[in-house]
Amino acid sequence: MSESPYIIRISSLSKHYTMGDQLVKALDKIDLDFRKNDYAAIMGPSGSGKSTLMNILGCLDTPTAGRYELNGQNVAEMDDDELARVRNREIGFVFQTFNLLPRLDCLRNVELPLIYAGISPEERLERARQALEEVGLGDRIDHKPGELSGGQTQRVAIARALVNHPSIILADEPTGNLDTATSHDIMEMFGKLSDAGNTIILITHEEDIARFTRRIIRLRDGKIESDSAP
Amino acid sequence: MSTSIRQFRYETGESLNIAVQQIKANKIRSFLTALGVIIGIVAITMMGTAINGIDLGFDKSLSMLGYDVIYVQKGSWSTMGQWWRYRNRPDIETRYATEINRLIAGNPLSELIVAVPQMSTIQADARYRDRQILQIFALGTSHDYPRTASGDLSDGRFFTAQESAAGDAVCVIGDDIASGLFTDGRAVGKPLRLKNHNVRVVGVFKKQGKFLGLFSFDNQLIMPLGAFEKVYGKTGMVTIRVKVKDEKRIPEAKEELTGLMRRIRKLPPGKADDFGINEQQAFKSQLDPIRNGIALAGIFITGMSLFVGAIGIMNITFVSVKERTREIGLRKALGARRRTILMQFLIESVMICLVGGVIGLATALSITVLIQNLLPDFPVSFSPMLVLASLVVSVATGVISGLAPAVSASRLDPAVSLRYE
Repeated sequence: MSESPYIIRISSLSKHYTMGDQLVKALDKIDLDFRKNDYAAIMGPSGSGKSTLMNILGCLDTPTAGRYELNGQNVAEMDDDELARVRNREIGFVFQTFNLLPRLDCLRNVELPLIYAGISPEERLERARQALEEVGLGDRIDHKPGELSGGQTQRVAIARALVNHPSIILADEPTGNLDTATSHDIMEMFGKLSDAGNTIILITHEEDIARFTRRIIRLRDGKIESDSAP
Repeated sequence: MSTSIRQFRYETGESLNIAVQQIKANKIRSFLTALGVIIGIVAITMMGTAINGIDLGFDKSLSMLGYDVIYVQKGSWSTMGQWWRYRNRPDIETRYATEINRLIAGNPLSELIVAVPQMSTIQADARYRDRQILQIFALGTSHDYPRTASGDLSDGRFFTAQESAAGDAVCVIGDDIASGLFTDGRAVGKPLRLKNHNVRVVGVFKKQGKFLGLFSFDNQLIMPLGAFEKVYGKTGMVTIRVKVKDEKRIPEAKEELTGLMRRIRKLPPGKADDFGINEQQAFKSQLDPIRNGIALAGIFITGMSLFVGAIGIMNITFVSVKERTREIGLRKALGARRRTILMQFLIESVMICLVGGVIGLATALSITVLIQNLLPDFPVSFSPMLVLASLVVSVATGVISGLAPAVSASRLDPAVSLRYE
């Protein structure tokens, strides 16, 4: 369908860990690719390995075995600081619990990734302002997260994910703390971002949320059960 | 390359911001945390100030004695407190001064300039009309005395060679006696009474202050030896004051004077000296152990309070790391590296310590000013070195106490910390 280049190539990727004396295969020899401009949902019951996959995709964790290539870089063998650099440059995170810093206003929250990228203060504020305008919060830049609604808060988090122009946006249950109407608003926002050329991967367990995407990957017991359009 | 330097700069700026916000957000906690450092720094600076003050007061006192004067006495200052060793020595006599002067005159290469006799008593009371000052320091000497002592006259003159030779009843008095007895401020020309003798004041010394806080030069009355003997008899304690040519050659001068004294005393070779040759340096060696004791106790107390303070800061920083686990996870997810997080928490603990240090310094400075105003005679001195030392100690405390929590923060797993409740 899409002939855009691969942005993520995963081959026979496994993540094992021991719990007590039991070996848990959270991910078991997964092969998975994402192309630029993909808009995908990862689904599965709890314990299916979707959080583990999310952590590995987000470079928050490294696989036990296998290959993970993100934008041409083999991430599987990177050390902590290299992973931090990759997270900073290549990945925009959106979390279920928003994870904004309550004492900082929206502009400062959105600016955070740019600080770790070594970008000058003037450019940081300019780009943060732009990102907030993109998510429709140009008039809320000096508000603290506590002064915003849930939907607005998540849009600030999306602005933060966008600000560094990452290769992929990873959203972990982005609507998990929102009511249905707001959830749909957020999903429409992701749709617009996808139309604008962003690569978006989200994790959800809600079918109606997954239906907003163009591709649904179902996990069960650490393996891919299905991978298809909704 | 320049990107990473810029990145470091921006990250450090961010860490400073976070630290300021964190301290502002937890004012009381930060203050309590800093209290250990505050107390430590106050202890350091007060101790340093006291030691500086002792040194300064001491130097001032020693300069009153004169660096180029040595003293022949029955005992030795460097072994004060062992008076029994000198009990059986023959007394020093005032005529030794004359003999020493005669011997110096015969030796052009002598290290010594002049010897001045001094007989003194503290059992003297001075009266003028109905006013009386008890326990002044009365001293009989020659007209050469000013050559061996510090202190200028504020009024009148010192007594002359003629008055000295004749033993005239004249005296030069310290400022306290002058202001105590003569309320109109005019002492010169007036007679004061010592026992049942009238002695005319011919000069008044400028105020000099106390020697080691014990003995006041402003409380002394100086008159010709002959006059002193008429009033008090020949019972006073005798010292021969000897001025040397070069204060850098005190040891040679002492050696020469020892030789002269042995000749005068006719001591055969092999017999120990039965007199003491003293110099102000002996006081210094007397005081050094006391001073070092104070310094040692000070370092110990300071070290203890800083140690306790450091543990407090370490504890609070650990709590802070725990509380902000999610924030650390988030910052790591957004691209903060280990050393960024490490720096963030180190900067925070250093900042708390620095704030504590500055508050401590301000407190110590106010206490110093207060002491100076309330007790002007108490020697205190605040030095820039102390300020520098306190700040260095504060920063060091911050680094030491912040290191362990900061390292533990930097090692947090971002995936786990993000889910920390």
